[in-house]
Amino acid sequence: MSVKYVPVQWNKNKWIYDWVMLLGVAVFLYVFLYASPGILSHERPINPQVHNARAFGACAFVMLTVILCIGPLARLDKRFLPLLYNRRHFGVMTTFVAITHASYIIDWYFAFASSDKYEALLFANTSYGQLSGFPFEVFGIFALSVLIILAVTSHDFWMKFLTAPVWKRIHYLIYPAYLSVVAHVSLGILQDQQAHAFTVIFISGATAVGVLHLLAAIHERRQDKAITAQPATWIDVCDVSDMTEGFARIKLLPDGKRVAVFLMDGQLSAISNACAHQNGPLGEGRIIACLVTCPWHGFQYNVRNGQSPAPFTEKVPTYNLRMQGTSVQVDPNANPPGTPVDPVPSPLHPQTEGAT
Amino acid sequence: MSSNNKPFFVGYLSAPGPLRRFLLAICVLFIVGFAALGLTLGVAQDDPGPGAFRFDYGRQTVTGVIELTPYPLVRVTIGNDRIKPGTTLMLAGQGKSSVDKRAIPLEGQLAKVSGVVLQRGDLNMLQLRGGRNGISAVEGAASKQTREPLGRWKLAGEICDGKCLAGAMRPGRGLAHKACANLCLLGGVPPVFVSTQEVDGSEFLLITGPDGDALPKSAYDYVAQFITVEGDVERRGDLLVFRMDPDTLEVLE
Repeated sequence: MSVKYVPVQWNKNKWIYDWVMLLGVAVFLYVFLYASPGILSHERPINPQVHNARAFGACAFVMLTVILCIGPLARLDKRFLPLLYNRRHFGVMTTFVAITHASYIIDWYFAFASSDKYEALLFANTSYGQLSGFPFEVFGIFALSVLIILAVTSHDFWMKFLTAPVWKRIHYLIYPAYLSVVAHVSLGILQDQQAHAFTVIFISGATAVGVLHLLAAIHERRQDKAITAQPATWIDVCDVSDMTEGFARIKLLPDGKRVAVFLMDGQLSAISNACAHQNGPLGEGRIIACLVTCPWHGFQYNVRNGQSPAPFTEKVPTYNLRMQGTSVQVDPNANPPGTPVDPVPSPLHPQTEGAT
Repeated sequence: MSSNNKPFFVGYLSAPGPLRRFLLAICVLFIVGFAALGLTLGVAQDDPGPGAFRFDYGRQTVTGVIELTPYPLVRVTIGNDRIKPGTTLMLAGQGKSSVDKRAIPLEGQLAKVSGVVLQRGDLNMLQLRGGRNGISAVEGAASKQTREPLGRWKLAGEICDGKCLAGAMRPGRGLAHKACANLCLLGGVPPVFVSTQEVDGSEFLLITGPDGDALPKSAYDYVAQFITVEGDVERRGDLLVFRMDPDTLEVLE
């Protein structure tokens, strides 16, 4: 959370995250670039430019694969949520690695001609009507362009400027970009390989991304089925005995939005489940120091009014609640973001004052 | 839903104890995994072949007869320790450029050529120095090269640019290199057909259009692909010239 924009709001966990990431990338590149040539028994070495391009290209693919596995892993197992916390830095680093790959390729294969190397990239191969020999470079250009757009707009400034839903939609471009990378590799280097280690790793990585997303989608669908509400003036959320102090129950409303009903100090309050930062699932967070804390990036809100504590300015919609016997019911019509709502006392929980 | 016995991570706070061991294991797995992948992928690269710029030979200067196929060649008449008389060298300029402008006026004449040799097996090329330092006419009678027709052949293999194939780039062939090969061919570098089976003792044939003209543009779509194509093969000294018939070109799966 921030009240002003700084390039990076460093904290201990971000430092650890970035150092581990950099160490992994450095080790990959070092081993590929400097250890493997000694093992290869080639009569003459691969050109350094091609060797470098391959190292950075392979590294970018592995990084992108890992990045895309983090999301579904965190949905399937909450212990992976810390990997989500600083994933943007991972993405920006991947962009730099991918740019390095592209630079080596352009400065080698597309240089030394009388034409401009960037123009040559577009006209050297125009066999668009065939699969084998297709100009696979266009897939790389698309993927790299998307990565650059995502890296440039990764800062919170752009999220605030574009609004979270628009920003999120733009960043979903990572999926067509990954598919484009898969096409780039499949129609390019894979067509030339006699050794199949890269083919196996490539297929395994791309399959892992696909399978994990499928599993996460099935998992989410099952959860949604259990919490989907039928249209009504007041919607049953749960029995109050199911509520736990400091935690929430989530309900999927008929309009497709999710509401998170929290029990704090023995009183019930409801806010939107979508964090104003990146639409993180607030209902899967918990109350820390009287504030709902998002499990993704730790953004906090007062559960009674949906407002972030001063000096922060983020707000989420609130909802009206009522008790019908021991049933907790919510009005599906959201209040404007930041609207204070009186909490509803729980008949089963002791009402306390102060921090949870 | 959430339960209070599970550790909860907040980015700007210290990680809860039970989660630390898990995250430490992930960190170790990440670094070791990246090292293992770097090594596996690094050692899985194919041999790019023996082609190379022979800088170790030093600058080579020989005299010979300039011929056009239409791509310029020199048939060496006065060689040296490295390049024997009778050797045919394909000629190319710096980068992805031809030497047509300098060689065409000298067709059929004796000339002194100077540059760096590129060599891959029995495929030889000379990258000429700039201007008259690279190629210049010399006095003397130029003997005519005999041409020995070897008949019509159906060959399987790959169209490459002769320079990258000969060693300007390693690897210098294959689909990942297709755009580069096309750029070389557009620049006038002699194209070479790499046959899967030897033809009269050689797997490399300089490839031209059906009438001995430049490689047809329609063939550019099939550069670097595994194809079959028919045409007439002719021996010119130690070099084979393959006049392809573009209508017979087929892509092999």
